Amino acid sequence: MNRSIRTLTVSATLLVAGCATHPSNPEDPYESYNRAMYAVNDRLDRAVIKPAAQGYRAITPQPVRNGISNFFDNFRDMYSAASNLLRGHVEDTLNDIMRVALNSTFGLGGLLDIADPAKLKNNKTTLGDTFASWGWKNSNYFVMPILGPSTVRDGLGTATTLAVPGPEHRVYENTDGGAYIYWGLNGISTREKLLDVTNAVDEAAVDRYSYTRDAYMQLRAKQVGAPLPKPSDSDANDMNIDELVAPTGGAASAPAGEVAKPAASAPAAAPAPAH
Amino acid sequence: MMKRLFASFCALMMLVSSSAFATSDSPVETIRDGARQVLDLLKQDNGKNTRQIRQQVEAVAVPQFDFQRMTALAVGRGWRQATPEQQQQLSQEFQTLLVRIYTSTMTRYKGTQVDVKPNPILASNGREATVKSEVTLPNSSDKKPVSIDYTLYKTSQGWKIYNVSVEGASLVTVYRNQFNDEINKNGVDGLIKMLKDKNAGVTAKGNA
Repeated sequence: MNRSIRTLTVSATLLVAGCATHPSNPEDPYESYNRAMYAVNDRLDRAVIKPAAQGYRAITPQPVRNGISNFFDNFRDMYSAASNLLRGHVEDTLNDIMRVALNSTFGLGGLLDIADPAKLKNNKTTLGDTFASWGWKNSNYFVMPILGPSTVRDGLGTATTLAVPGPEHRVYENTDGGAYIYWGLNGISTREKLLDVTNAVDEAAVDRYSYTRDAYMQLRAKQVGAPLPKPSDSDANDMNIDELVAPTGGAASAPAGEVAKPAASAPAAAPAPAH
Repeated sequence: MMKRLFASFCALMMLVSSSAFATSDSPVETIRDGARQVLDLLKQDNGKNTRQIRQQVEAVAVPQFDFQRMTALAVGRGWRQATPEQQQQLSQEFQTLLVRIYTSTMTRYKGTQVDVKPNPILASNGREATVKSEVTLPNSSDKKPVSIDYTLYKTSQGWKIYNVSVEGASLVTVYRNQFNDEINKNGVDGLIKMLKDKNAGVTAKGNA
Protein backbone atom coordinates (compact mmCIF):
# COMPACT_ATOMS: atom_id res chain seq x y z
CA MET A 1 0.00 0.00 0.00
CA ASN A 2 2.74 2.33 1.06
CA ARG A 3 4.69 1.46 -2.03
CA SER A 4 1.76 1.74 -4.37
CA ILE A 5 0.90 5.18 -3.05
CA ARG A 6 4.48 6.15 -3.62
CA THR A 7 4.50 4.82 -7.16
CA LEU A 8 1.26 6.56 -7.94
CA THR A 9 2.51 9.83 -6.51
CA VAL A 10 5.70 9.71 -8.50
CA SER A 11 3.94 8.87 -11.72
CA ALA A 12 1.39 11.59 -11.13
CA THR A 13 4.16 14.10 -10.53
CA LEU A 14 5.78 13.06 -13.79
CA LEU A 15 2.43 13.34 -15.46
CA VAL A 16 2.13 16.91 -14.25
CA ALA A 17 5.63 17.74 -15.36
CA GLY A 18 4.85 16.59 -18.86
CA CYS A 19 1.37 17.97 -18.92
CA ALA A 20 0.43 20.72 -21.34
CA THR A 21 -1.99 22.67 -19.24
CA HIS A 22 -4.50 25.32 -20.19
CA PRO A 23 -4.95 27.21 -16.97
CA SER A 24 -8.06 29.29 -16.62
CA ASN A 25 -6.95 30.39 -13.18
CA PRO A 26 -3.40 31.67 -12.75
CA GLU A 27 -3.47 30.44 -9.17
CA ASP A 28 -4.07 26.88 -10.37
CA PRO A 29 -1.73 26.20 -13.30
CA TYR A 30 -2.21 22.42 -13.10
CA GLU A 31 -5.97 22.71 -13.20
CA SER A 32 -6.49 20.31 -16.09
CA TYR A 33 -4.42 17.59 -14.43
CA ASN A 34 -5.91 18.41 -11.03
CA ARG A 35 -9.46 18.14 -12.27
CA ALA A 36 -8.69 14.83 -13.94
CA MET A 37 -7.10 13.44 -10.78
CA TYR A 38 -9.94 14.83 -8.71
CA ALA A 39 -12.41 12.96 -10.90
CA VAL A 40 -10.45 9.72 -10.54
CA ASN A 41 -10.19 10.11 -6.77
CA ASP A 42 -13.85 10.99 -6.54
CA ARG A 43 -14.88 7.87 -8.43
CA LEU A 44 -12.64 5.71 -6.28
CA ASP A 45 -13.96 7.39 -3.17
CA ARG A 46 -17.60 6.90 -4.04
CA ALA A 47 -17.07 3.31 -5.09
CA VAL A 48 -14.81 2.07 -2.32
CA ILE A 49 -13.33 4.43 0.24
CA LYS A 50 -16.40 6.35 1.37
CA PRO A 51 -18.59 3.23 1.73
CA ALA A 52 -15.78 1.62 3.72
CA ALA A 53 -15.58 4.65 6.00
CA GLN A 54 -19.36 4.66 6.43
CA GLY A 55 -19.30 0.98 7.30
CA TYR A 56 -16.50 1.60 9.75
CA ARG A 57 -18.54 4.34 11.41
CA ALA A 58 -21.57 2.08 11.55
CA ILE A 59 -19.88 -0.86 13.26
CA THR A 60 -17.57 0.94 15.71
CA PRO A 61 -18.51 3.08 18.70
CA GLN A 62 -16.95 6.53 18.99
CA PRO A 63 -14.48 5.59 21.78
CA VAL A 64 -13.05 2.82 19.62
CA ARG A 65 -12.70 5.18 16.69
CA ASN A 66 -11.03 7.74 18.93
CA GLY A 67 -8.56 5.10 20.08
CA ILE A 68 -7.71 4.08 16.54
CA SER A 69 -7.42 7.69 15.48
CA ASN A 70 -5.13 8.42 18.45
CA PHE A 71 -2.99 5.44 17.55
CA PHE A 72 -2.26 6.85 14.09
CA ASP A 73 -1.94 10.37 15.45
CA ASN A 74 0.85 9.14 17.67
CA PHE A 75 2.84 8.34 14.53
CA ARG A 76 1.99 11.76 13.12
CA ASP A 77 3.52 13.23 16.26
CA MET A 78 6.72 11.32 15.51
CA TYR A 79 6.85 12.81 12.03
CA SER A 80 5.92 16.13 13.53
CA ALA A 81 8.91 15.95 15.86
CA ALA A 82 11.20 15.33 12.88
CA SER A 83 9.65 18.14 10.87
CA ASN A 84 9.95 20.54 13.77
CA LEU A 85 13.57 19.56 14.27
CA LEU A 86 14.30 20.20 10.58
CA ARG A 87 12.88 23.68 10.82
CA GLY A 88 14.85 24.34 13.98
CA HIS A 89 11.93 24.56 16.38
CA VAL A 90 13.59 22.90 19.32
CA GLU A 91 10.84 23.56 21.81
CA ASP A 92 8.16 22.14 19.54
CA THR A 93 10.38 19.15 18.79
CA LEU A 94 10.74 18.39 22.48
CA ASN A 95 7.01 18.92 22.93
CA ASP A 96 6.26 16.38 20.23
CA ILE A 97 8.77 13.89 21.61
CA MET A 98 7.16 14.21 25.04
CA ARG A 99 3.74 13.63 23.48
CA VAL A 100 4.94 10.46 21.81
CA ALA A 101 6.67 9.30 24.97
CA LEU A 102 3.59 9.85 27.13
CA ASN A 103 1.09 8.46 24.67
CA SER A 104 3.18 5.44 23.73
CA THR A 105 3.63 4.39 27.35
CA PHE A 106 0.89 5.55 29.69
CA GLY A 107 -1.34 6.09 26.66
CA LEU A 108 -1.16 2.37 25.89
CA GLY A 109 0.73 2.57 22.64
CA GLY A 110 -1.04 5.69 21.50
CA LEU A 111 -4.60 4.48 21.93
CA LEU A 112 -5.21 7.13 24.55
CA ASP A 113 -4.25 10.72 24.03
CA ILE A 114 -3.09 11.70 27.48
CA ALA A 115 -0.68 14.33 26.15
CA ASP A 116 -3.54 16.74 25.51
CA PRO A 117 -4.78 16.68 29.11
CA ALA A 118 -1.15 16.92 30.16
CA LYS A 119 -1.14 20.30 28.40
CA LEU A 120 1.33 19.29 25.74
CA LYS A 121 0.56 21.26 22.61
CA ASN A 122 -0.93 19.35 19.74
CA ASN A 123 0.71 21.22 16.91
CA LYS A 124 1.26 18.61 14.29
CA THR A 125 3.76 19.77 11.75
CA THR A 126 4.38 18.13 8.42
CA LEU A 127 7.36 18.19 6.12
CA GLY A 128 5.35 20.56 3.94
CA ASP A 129 5.25 23.00 6.86
CA THR A 130 9.00 22.66 7.18
CA PHE A 131 9.48 23.47 3.49
CA ALA A 132 7.19 26.47 3.98
CA SER A 133 9.25 27.65 6.93
CA TRP A 134 12.35 27.43 4.76
CA GLY A 135 10.78 30.00 2.49
CA TRP A 136 8.62 27.97 0.11
CA LYS A 137 5.48 29.86 1.10
CA ASN A 138 3.54 29.83 -2.13
CA SER A 139 2.92 26.55 -3.79
CA ASN A 140 0.41 25.63 -6.43
CA TYR A 141 -2.56 23.43 -5.78
CA PHE A 142 -1.88 19.80 -6.51
CA VAL A 143 -4.34 16.93 -6.20
CA MET A 144 -2.54 13.82 -5.05
CA PRO A 145 -3.63 10.39 -6.17
CA ILE A 146 -5.93 8.88 -3.52
CA LEU A 147 -4.84 11.39 -0.86
CA GLY A 148 -6.54 14.33 -2.52
CA PRO A 149 -6.03 18.07 -1.91
CA SER A 150 -2.43 19.16 -1.51
CA THR A 151 0.10 21.53 -2.99
CA VAL A 152 3.25 20.74 -4.89
CA ARG A 153 5.22 21.58 -1.73
CA ASP A 154 3.05 19.53 0.61
CA GLY A 155 2.75 16.70 -1.87
CA LEU A 156 6.51 16.47 -2.07
CA GLY A 157 6.63 16.43 1.72
CA THR A 158 4.01 13.70 1.93
CA ALA A 159 5.72 11.63 -0.76
CA THR A 160 9.04 11.93 1.06
CA THR A 161 7.44 10.96 4.35
CA LEU A 162 5.89 7.91 2.74
CA ALA A 163 9.13 6.96 0.99
CA VAL A 164 11.26 7.09 4.13
CA PRO A 165 10.91 3.93 6.21
CA GLY A 166 9.36 5.58 9.23
CA PRO A 167 8.60 4.34 12.72
CA GLU A 168 5.34 2.73 11.62
CA HIS A 169 7.41 0.09 9.81
CA ARG A 170 8.29 -1.29 13.22
CA VAL A 171 4.62 -2.12 13.67
CA TYR A 172 4.29 -4.29 10.63
CA GLU A 173 7.78 -5.15 9.40
CA ASN A 174 7.63 -8.79 10.49
CA THR A 175 4.06 -9.43 9.54
CA ASP A 176 2.34 -10.72 6.46
CA GLY A 177 0.24 -7.99 4.95
CA GLY A 178 0.54 -5.88 8.08
CA ALA A 179 1.34 -2.87 5.97
CA TYR A 180 -1.99 -3.21 4.17
CA ILE A 181 -3.85 -3.35 7.45
CA TYR A 182 -1.92 -0.40 8.86
CA TRP A 183 -2.39 1.86 5.85
CA GLY A 184 -5.87 0.63 5.10
CA LEU A 185 -7.15 1.28 8.60
CA ASN A 186 -5.26 4.55 8.77
CA GLY A 187 -6.94 5.64 5.56
CA ILE A 188 -10.40 4.53 6.60
CA SER A 189 -10.04 6.19 9.99
CA THR A 190 -8.98 9.42 8.32
CA ARG A 191 -11.77 9.21 5.79
CA GLU A 192 -14.33 8.56 8.51
CA LYS A 193 -13.35 11.78 10.24
CA LEU A 194 -13.86 13.62 6.98
CA LEU A 195 -17.29 12.19 6.19
CA ASP A 196 -19.15 15.17 7.57
CA VAL A 197 -16.89 17.61 5.79
CA THR A 198 -17.26 16.00 2.41
CA ASN A 199 -21.01 15.65 2.84
CA ALA A 200 -21.16 19.33 3.65
CA VAL A 201 -19.02 20.21 0.66
CA ASP A 202 -21.37 18.18 -1.51
CA GLU A 203 -24.21 20.35 -0.26
CA ALA A 204 -22.41 23.67 -0.25
CA ALA A 205 -20.41 23.66 -3.45
CA VAL A 206 -21.65 24.57 -6.86
CA ASP A 207 -18.36 23.25 -8.25
CA ARG A 208 -16.94 20.74 -5.80
CA TYR A 209 -13.48 20.84 -7.34
CA SER A 210 -12.98 24.56 -7.00
CA TYR A 211 -14.78 24.80 -3.66
CA THR A 212 -12.45 22.19 -2.20
CA ARG A 213 -9.42 23.82 -3.80
CA ASP A 214 -10.23 27.32 -2.66
CA ALA A 215 -11.10 26.30 0.89
CA TYR A 216 -7.97 24.16 1.12
CA MET A 217 -5.70 26.85 -0.27
CA GLN A 218 -7.08 29.49 2.10
CA LEU A 219 -6.65 27.19 5.09
CA ARG A 220 -3.16 26.25 4.07
CA ALA A 221 -2.13 29.84 3.41
CA LYS A 222 -3.24 30.75 6.91
CA GLN A 223 -1.36 27.82 8.41
CA VAL A 224 1.97 28.55 6.76
CA GLY A 225 1.60 32.31 7.01
CA ALA A 226 1.43 32.94 3.28
CA PRO A 227 -0.68 35.68 1.70
CA LEU A 228 -4.21 34.60 0.89
CA PRO A 229 -4.61 33.21 -2.61
CA LYS A 230 -6.06 35.68 -5.08
CA PRO A 231 -9.37 34.90 -6.74
CA SER A 232 -9.42 34.66 -10.51
CA ASP A 233 -10.81 38.17 -10.91
CA SER A 234 -7.30 39.52 -10.34
CA ASP A 235 -7.23 42.57 -8.11
CA ALA A 236 -10.47 41.65 -6.39
CA ASN A 237 -8.66 40.93 -3.14
CA ASP A 238 -8.07 44.63 -2.79
CA MET A 239 -11.65 45.31 -3.71
CA ASN A 240 -13.46 47.57 -1.33
CA ILE A 241 -16.72 46.01 -0.27
CA ASP A 242 -18.22 49.39 0.54
CA GLU A 243 -17.58 50.60 -2.99
CA LEU A 244 -18.88 47.36 -4.41
CA VAL A 245 -22.25 47.55 -2.72
CA ALA A 246 -22.55 51.32 -3.00
CA PRO A 247 -25.44 52.32 -5.27
CA THR A 248 -23.14 54.11 -7.72
CA GLY A 249 -22.92 51.30 -10.23
CA GLY A 250 -26.68 51.04 -10.47
CA ALA A 251 -26.67 48.73 -7.48
CA ALA A 252 -29.63 49.01 -5.20
CA SER A 253 -28.76 47.65 -1.83
CA ALA A 254 -31.13 46.78 0.94
CA PRO A 255 -29.56 48.60 3.87
CA ALA A 256 -28.62 51.38 1.49
CA GLY A 257 -28.74 54.14 4.05
CA GLU A 258 -25.78 52.93 5.99
CA VAL A 259 -23.87 51.39 3.14
CA ALA A 260 -23.94 54.45 0.97
CA LYS A 261 -22.70 56.78 3.66
CA PRO A 262 -19.49 54.96 4.54
CA ALA A 263 -18.73 54.51 0.86
CA ALA A 264 -18.51 58.25 0.44
CA SER A 265 -15.63 58.43 2.88
CA ALA A 266 -14.29 55.14 1.54
CA PRO A 267 -11.24 54.28 3.56
CA ALA A 268 -8.63 52.03 2.03
CA ALA A 269 -8.89 49.38 4.72
CA ALA A 270 -9.61 45.94 3.39
CA PRO A 271 -13.00 44.53 4.36
CA ALA A 272 -11.78 41.24 5.66
CA PRO A 273 -8.70 40.33 7.66
CA ALA A 274 -6.03 39.15 5.28
CA HIS A 275 -4.33 36.86 7.72
CA MET B 1 -7.30 20.17 8.49
CA MET B 2 -10.48 19.45 6.63
CA LYS B 3 -11.91 18.57 9.97
CA ARG B 4 -11.64 22.19 10.89
CA LEU B 5 -13.67 23.02 7.89
CA PHE B 6 -16.26 20.74 9.39
CA ALA B 7 -16.55 23.20 12.21
CA SER B 8 -17.50 25.79 9.68
CA PHE B 9 -20.80 24.08 9.37
CA CYS B 10 -21.80 25.18 12.79
CA ALA B 11 -20.50 28.65 12.22
CA LEU B 12 -23.59 30.37 10.99
CA MET B 13 -25.80 29.12 13.72
CA MET B 14 -23.53 30.62 16.29
CA LEU B 15 -23.72 34.02 14.78
CA VAL B 16 -27.06 35.03 15.95
CA SER B 17 -28.84 37.37 18.21
CA SER B 18 -32.42 38.28 18.90
CA SER B 19 -33.95 41.52 17.76
CA ALA B 20 -33.57 42.71 21.34
CA PHE B 21 -29.86 42.90 20.71
CA ALA B 22 -30.09 44.19 17.19
CA THR B 23 -29.38 47.69 18.37
CA SER B 24 -26.41 46.55 20.42
CA ASP B 25 -23.51 48.81 19.62
CA SER B 26 -20.93 46.17 20.39
CA PRO B 27 -20.04 43.63 17.73
CA VAL B 28 -18.69 41.29 20.39
CA GLU B 29 -22.00 41.34 22.26
CA THR B 30 -23.84 40.70 19.01
CA ILE B 31 -21.85 37.53 18.43
CA ARG B 32 -21.82 36.47 22.06
CA ASP B 33 -25.56 36.83 22.59
CA GLY B 34 -26.25 35.17 19.29
CA ALA B 35 -24.09 32.18 20.06
CA ARG B 36 -25.70 31.81 23.46
CA GLN B 37 -29.22 31.94 22.05
CA VAL B 38 -28.55 29.41 19.34
CA LEU B 39 -26.80 27.02 21.68
CA ASP B 40 -29.71 27.37 24.11
CA LEU B 41 -32.14 26.57 21.33
CA LEU B 42 -30.12 23.56 20.28
CA LYS B 43 -30.21 22.22 23.84
CA GLN B 44 -33.99 21.97 23.54
CA ASP B 45 -33.67 19.60 20.63
CA ASN B 46 -34.88 16.16 21.59
CA GLY B 47 -34.85 14.49 18.20
CA LYS B 48 -38.57 15.04 17.62
CA ASN B 49 -38.73 18.81 17.42
CA THR B 50 -35.69 19.25 15.19
CA ARG B 51 -37.67 20.94 12.46
CA GLN B 52 -39.14 23.43 14.89
CA ILE B 53 -35.79 24.17 16.47
CA ARG B 54 -34.31 24.72 13.06
CA GLN B 55 -36.99 27.26 12.23
CA GLN B 56 -36.42 29.06 15.50
CA VAL B 57 -32.69 29.19 14.93
CA GLU B 58 -33.25 30.52 11.44
CA ALA B 59 -35.58 33.14 12.80
CA VAL B 60 -32.96 34.53 15.15
CA ALA B 61 -29.94 33.95 12.92
CA VAL B 62 -31.00 35.25 9.53
CA PRO B 63 -31.62 38.88 10.63
CA GLN B 64 -28.07 39.05 11.93
CA PHE B 65 -26.62 38.78 8.45
CA ASP B 66 -26.51 41.16 5.56
CA PHE B 67 -26.91 38.66 2.77
CA GLN B 68 -26.75 41.30 0.08
CA ARG B 69 -23.34 42.46 1.22
CA MET B 70 -22.30 38.87 1.72
CA THR B 71 -23.32 37.98 -1.82
CA ALA B 72 -21.47 41.00 -3.19
CA LEU B 73 -18.35 39.82 -1.38
CA ALA B 74 -18.79 36.32 -2.78
CA VAL B 75 -19.36 37.49 -6.35
CA GLY B 76 -16.64 40.14 -6.38
CA ARG B 77 -16.35 42.45 -9.36
CA GLY B 78 -19.10 40.67 -11.25
CA TRP B 79 -21.50 42.24 -8.77
CA ARG B 80 -21.32 45.52 -10.67
CA GLN B 81 -22.41 43.85 -13.89
CA ALA B 82 -25.62 42.74 -12.23
CA THR B 83 -28.75 44.85 -12.38
CA PRO B 84 -30.51 45.60 -9.08
CA GLU B 85 -33.04 42.87 -9.89
CA GLN B 86 -30.28 40.38 -10.59
CA GLN B 87 -28.51 41.36 -7.37
CA GLN B 88 -31.73 40.81 -5.51
CA GLN B 89 -32.12 37.35 -7.04
CA LEU B 90 -28.50 36.42 -6.43
CA SER B 91 -28.75 37.42 -2.79
CA GLN B 92 -31.95 35.48 -2.37
CA GLU B 93 -30.52 32.30 -3.88
CA PHE B 94 -27.22 32.60 -2.02
CA GLN B 95 -29.08 33.12 1.24
CA THR B 96 -31.22 30.06 0.58
CA LEU B 97 -28.09 28.02 -0.14
CA LEU B 98 -26.20 29.16 2.97
CA VAL B 99 -29.13 28.87 5.35
CA ARG B 100 -29.87 25.39 4.10
CA ILE B 101 -26.29 24.17 4.40
CA TYR B 102 -25.75 25.51 7.85
CA THR B 103 -29.04 24.58 9.41
CA SER B 104 -29.45 21.10 7.94
CA THR B 105 -26.96 19.49 10.31
CA MET B 106 -27.07 21.93 13.18
CA THR B 107 -28.47 19.65 15.85
CA ARG B 108 -25.23 17.75 15.66
CA TYR B 109 -23.57 20.70 17.36
CA LYS B 110 -25.53 20.41 20.55
CA GLY B 111 -23.07 20.87 23.38
CA THR B 112 -20.64 22.93 21.33
CA GLN B 113 -18.68 25.47 23.35
CA VAL B 114 -18.07 28.92 21.98
CA ASP B 115 -15.52 31.27 23.41
CA VAL B 116 -15.97 34.74 21.92
CA LYS B 117 -12.84 36.85 22.30
CA PRO B 118 -13.40 40.28 23.85
CA ASN B 119 -11.16 42.38 21.61
CA PRO B 120 -12.38 42.75 18.04
CA ILE B 121 -10.14 44.02 15.26
CA LEU B 122 -11.58 47.30 14.10
CA ALA B 123 -11.31 48.68 10.59
CA SER B 124 -12.76 51.51 8.50
CA ASN B 125 -12.85 53.99 11.38
CA GLY B 126 -14.65 51.58 13.63
CA ARG B 127 -17.45 50.84 11.22
CA GLU B 128 -16.14 47.32 10.65
CA ALA B 129 -15.13 44.79 13.21
CA THR B 130 -13.73 41.30 13.08
CA VAL B 131 -14.70 39.30 16.13
CA LYS B 132 -12.65 36.23 16.91
CA SER B 133 -13.94 33.12 18.59
CA GLU B 134 -12.84 29.64 19.45
CA VAL B 135 -15.25 26.78 19.06
CA THR B 136 -14.89 23.39 20.68
CA LEU B 137 -16.98 20.72 19.07
CA PRO B 138 -18.61 17.95 21.05
CA ASN B 139 -17.83 14.30 20.31
CA SER B 140 -14.68 15.17 18.48
CA SER B 141 -11.54 13.15 18.94
CA ASP B 142 -9.65 16.34 18.19
CA LYS B 143 -9.88 18.58 21.22
CA LYS B 144 -8.22 21.45 19.48
CA PRO B 145 -10.64 24.37 19.26
CA VAL B 146 -11.49 25.75 15.85
CA SER B 147 -10.97 29.45 15.29
CA ILE B 148 -13.89 31.22 13.68
CA ASP B 149 -13.80 34.90 12.78
CA TYR B 150 -16.85 37.00 12.02
CA THR B 151 -16.65 40.25 10.13
CA LEU B 152 -19.43 42.71 10.88
CA TYR B 153 -20.22 46.23 9.82
CA LYS B 154 -22.32 48.87 11.43
CA THR B 155 -25.71 49.68 10.01
CA SER B 156 -28.62 51.73 11.28
CA GLN B 157 -30.13 48.41 12.43
CA GLY B 158 -27.06 47.47 14.43
CA TRP B 159 -24.10 45.33 13.55
CA LYS B 160 -24.56 42.89 10.70
CA ILE B 161 -22.36 39.95 9.80
CA TYR B 162 -21.21 39.64 6.22
CA ASN B 163 -18.18 37.38 6.36
CA VAL B 164 -17.26 34.28 8.33
CA SER B 165 -13.84 32.64 8.28
CA VAL B 166 -12.93 29.27 9.68
CA GLU B 167 -9.24 28.84 10.37
CA GLY B 168 -8.60 31.63 7.93
CA ALA B 169 -10.78 30.25 5.14
CA SER B 170 -13.73 32.45 4.29
CA LEU B 171 -17.01 30.64 3.83
CA VAL B 172 -18.02 33.49 1.53
CA THR B 173 -15.07 34.19 -0.73
CA VAL B 174 -14.57 30.46 -1.23
CA TYR B 175 -17.37 30.85 -3.75
CA ARG B 176 -15.77 33.62 -5.75
CA ASN B 177 -13.91 31.52 -8.30
CA GLN B 178 -16.91 29.29 -8.84
CA PHE B 179 -19.16 32.30 -9.33
CA ASN B 180 -16.71 34.06 -11.62
CA ASP B 181 -16.30 31.03 -13.83
CA GLU B 182 -20.04 30.87 -14.29
CA ILE B 183 -20.44 34.60 -14.91
CA ASN B 184 -17.67 34.46 -17.51
CA LYS B 185 -19.34 31.53 -19.21
CA ASN B 186 -23.04 32.29 -18.96
CA GLY B 187 -23.37 35.76 -17.49
CA VAL B 188 -25.11 36.83 -14.31
CA ASP B 189 -28.30 35.08 -15.33
CA GLY B 190 -26.31 31.88 -15.74
CA LEU B 191 -25.12 32.20 -12.15
CA ILE B 192 -28.64 32.85 -10.88
CA LYS B 193 -29.86 29.78 -12.74
CA MET B 194 -27.01 27.68 -11.41
CA LEU B 195 -27.79 28.67 -7.82
CA LYS B 196 -31.49 28.02 -8.37
CA ASP B 197 -30.74 24.57 -9.75
CA LYS B 198 -28.38 23.90 -6.86
CA ASN B 199 -31.01 24.92 -4.33
CA ALA B 200 -33.66 22.83 -6.04
CA GLY B 201 -31.32 19.84 -6.01
CA VAL B 202 -30.40 20.26 -2.39
CA THR B 203 -34.04 20.57 -1.47
CA ALA B 204 -34.83 17.33 -3.22
CA LYS B 205 -31.92 15.59 -1.53
CA GLY B 206 -32.75 17.07 1.85
CA ASN B 207 -36.29 15.76 1.71
CA ALA B 208 -35.31 12.32 0.59
